[in-house]
Amino acid sequence: MNIENTASQMRKGVLEFCILSVIKLGEAYPSDIIDNMKSANLNILEGTLYPLLTRLKNAELLTYRWVESNSGPPRKYFMLTEKGAAFYKELEATWEELANAVKKITEEKNQ
Amino acid sequence: MKKVININFQGRVVPIEETSYDLLKQYTDSLRIYFANEEGKEEIINDIESRIGELFQARIKNGAICITDDDINSIINNIGRPQDLADADSASDNKTYTSHSGNAFQQTAFTGKKLYRDANNKILGGVCSGIAAYFNIEPIIVRLVFIFSGIGFLAYILLWAFVPSSDSVQNGVRKRMYRNPDNKIIAGVCSGIASYFNINVWIPRILFLIPFISIFFRWGHFGPLSFPHFINFSFSPGTLLIYVILWLVIPEASSTSEKLEMKGERVDLNSIKNSVKEEMKGVKERVSVVGKESAEFGKRMGSEMAYAAKRTRTSLGDIIVVLLKIFLYFLLTIFAFSSFGFAIAATGIFPFKDYLLKDGLQNALAWGSLIFLIYVPVIGIITWIIRRLAKIRSNSRMMRWGFFILWVVGIICFISLVVSVGRDFRSSNTVNEEKITLSNPAVNMLEVSTSGMGRYSRFRMEPFGSILEDTAYVDNVSIRIIKSPNDSFQVTLTKFCNGRTRHYADTLAALMNYNIVQKDSTLILDKGLPITEQDKFRNQHIVINIAVPVGKRIKINNKIGWGNWENFQFPWSENGDYDWDNESFSWYDHKGEELIMKEDGLYTLDGRPSNESGHSRIFYKKSGHGKTVIIEDDNGDNNPGYRYDQTQQTFDSVKKALDVQKQNRLDSLNKEEERIKLQKQKLEKAAEGTTPKQEAYLPANGYGYDFVLSI
Repeated sequence: MNIENTASQMRKGVLEFCILSVIKLGEAYPSDIIDNMKSANLNILEGTLYPLLTRLKNAELLTYRWVESNSGPPRKYFMLTEKGAAFYKELEATWEELANAVKKITEEKNQ
Repeated sequence: MKKVININFQGRVVPIEETSYDLLKQYTDSLRIYFANEEGKEEIINDIESRIGELFQARIKNGAICITDDDINSIINNIGRPQDLADADSASDNKTYTSHSGNAFQQTAFTGKKLYRDANNKILGGVCSGIAAYFNIEPIIVRLVFIFSGIGFLAYILLWAFVPSSDSVQNGVRKRMYRNPDNKIIAGVCSGIASYFNINVWIPRILFLIPFISIFFRWGHFGPLSFPHFINFSFSPGTLLIYVILWLVIPEASSTSEKLEMKGERVDLNSIKNSVKEEMKGVKERVSVVGKESAEFGKRMGSEMAYAAKRTRTSLGDIIVVLLKIFLYFLLTIFAFSSFGFAIAATGIFPFKDYLLKDGLQNALAWGSLIFLIYVPVIGIITWIIRRLAKIRSNSRMMRWGFFILWVVGIICFISLVVSVGRDFRSSNTVNEEKITLSNPAVNMLEVSTSGMGRYSRFRMEPFGSILEDTAYVDNVSIRIIKSPNDSFQVTLTKFCNGRTRHYADTLAALMNYNIVQKDSTLILDKGLPITEQDKFRNQHIVINIAVPVGKRIKINNKIGWGNWENFQFPWSENGDYDWDNESFSWYDHKGEELIMKEDGLYTLDGRPSNESGHSRIFYKKSGHGKTVIIEDDNGDNNPGYRYDQTQQTFDSVKKALDVQKQNRLDSLNKEEERIKLQKQKLEKAAEGTTPKQEAYLPANGYGYDFVLSI
């Protein structure tokens, strides 16, 4: 068991949830998502983000539209689909359950 | 000082340093390899590239003149190298087990269409676990199949060699083999190999040269296929051939990035050694772990049976496909090895063609057959293997078709050659029995001997001996012993041969030069039928009839061969068989022994008939209508046996004949037993007296280039 691996798996598990929650706030450009997560101290590589977005898009949880940018070619802006919103709700519920459970367990231990 | 180039990147013109461009290209290539199995990989790559383009734009907007190595490196650090992505992604390798929510996530290196060796779950090379992961079944099943199937070992080695490891996907940039144009003598093949394996350039060069150097040393007399000559004859053209193939197959490293790939650090002798060490490390522990696992598996098996069966059934088609693939690899290997051997053998006998083929068209067709029919597939297979091993990725379709077409040309050459040569064998000559005048036909005992030809070499050629000896000798000489009508020995000679027309065959028969000379009581035959490059081999064959008077003796020398008829038979060629109207007596089992002619046949001096042997021979006899077959019987009393004319035979007569034959066979077996006993006693006696003489072949000249071919 190495700590890095476990930690990265933990992060990995919530990554999709975080991405969806950033996108839920409004149309998002990938580098916006990265900045957003960075400001919350959650560092991910763009190389990890793009495949994830594509997968989510292929699962019809996300959709995107092209937006003209004033610097260079149009950019892809991502947003949630209805299916994505429902999916997010489920994830959110799971997360709250999980967070509460973890909190409870760790607090009990600490006492 | 660095060279700056302009590239069109994602629709933008970007000035970039050349080295940075190479870095960038390497990076995007490595991403392409990393995402190769991802669904929608083009989209991902495109997104990433357009992001890179945006970052370039930002850099240039901020006043940079061009994109530098530093820029590239910082961009790569932001986006992540395949290795980094693999670390961050490591959880996704287990997705098959963790995610059930959406099949969009079921995208791992192993559930893709490609088969990899599983580096994370291996005992030896990860072949079995790779196959298991591919089909989503338990590795133990695959392992058991491999252990208990006969060709499992070979298949395993093949798969180990040809199936990429799952590690290779994550490693990104791979080292490739290129020809090195900067350090070349002929085409840079050797220096390319040297930099691929990270060794001194002179090592491959000397390896290629050794066979040429060895020509100057002779290692004494061996047959053409024994080791030293094998090197001299086959390997020097062999290495030349390999060099030329490598020259054709390996691309030249022309661009800087290709040169970087050529020198890439990832594969060198050390890293191969390390990785082999790594692979072998802990094989023992892993085996014991698997032992435990399989015990658990046995327990689980019961409950999971139904589930597993369901899963297996869905992938049954895939299993068949992979088994077929393994089988094909296996066949291909066998084919490669055998065609290799065949090619060497064909090259070995190639000098003999001058004795068979006419100059011009036939000669050209023979060369065409040798090169296109035999060597092209060999070269093709070697090329294919090299390309597989060196992981050359350029399109090989043209090459494949090229090889195929050349091979078809070879087949056409061969068929035309057979047809053309076959026409030269179409007719047979007019058969004439010539009388040989003997100087002393009244001797009591005639010994038949020959001036050459060892007992066992039926066919001997000395094409390289000297110019005078450009003649091949064929031992197509049969001896028939018959009963003489009067009290003197009579010898006749009958020549057979084929030709394009009867007239030509007759001319050739007249040219056949075979001498029989009597010296005192010895009849000396020529050592074989000479075949010259002018006259060609056209199934020349000679039958010598020796008529022995009743009461006189004959001895066939040990040197006389079996009278083999080496010939080419084409379905349309006229049969050279001749139906003799007199009866001959067997002498094959009594070479070196004196035989005596009696009223009813040939006998040994101790009174046993010469025909007595365990096997019957079938002779043809001339008769007025149709062909009468005489099955020479084995009871040894030399009566003509059981004739049944094909036109007259009835069921009863055949049955009767068979019954009698059966009885006779039983009798002869009993006799045979006695004979063997007698022979044994005789041999034991002989062994006390003299040691048996060994016959050995020594080449006639000082060079080692004699071909001694026993067919």
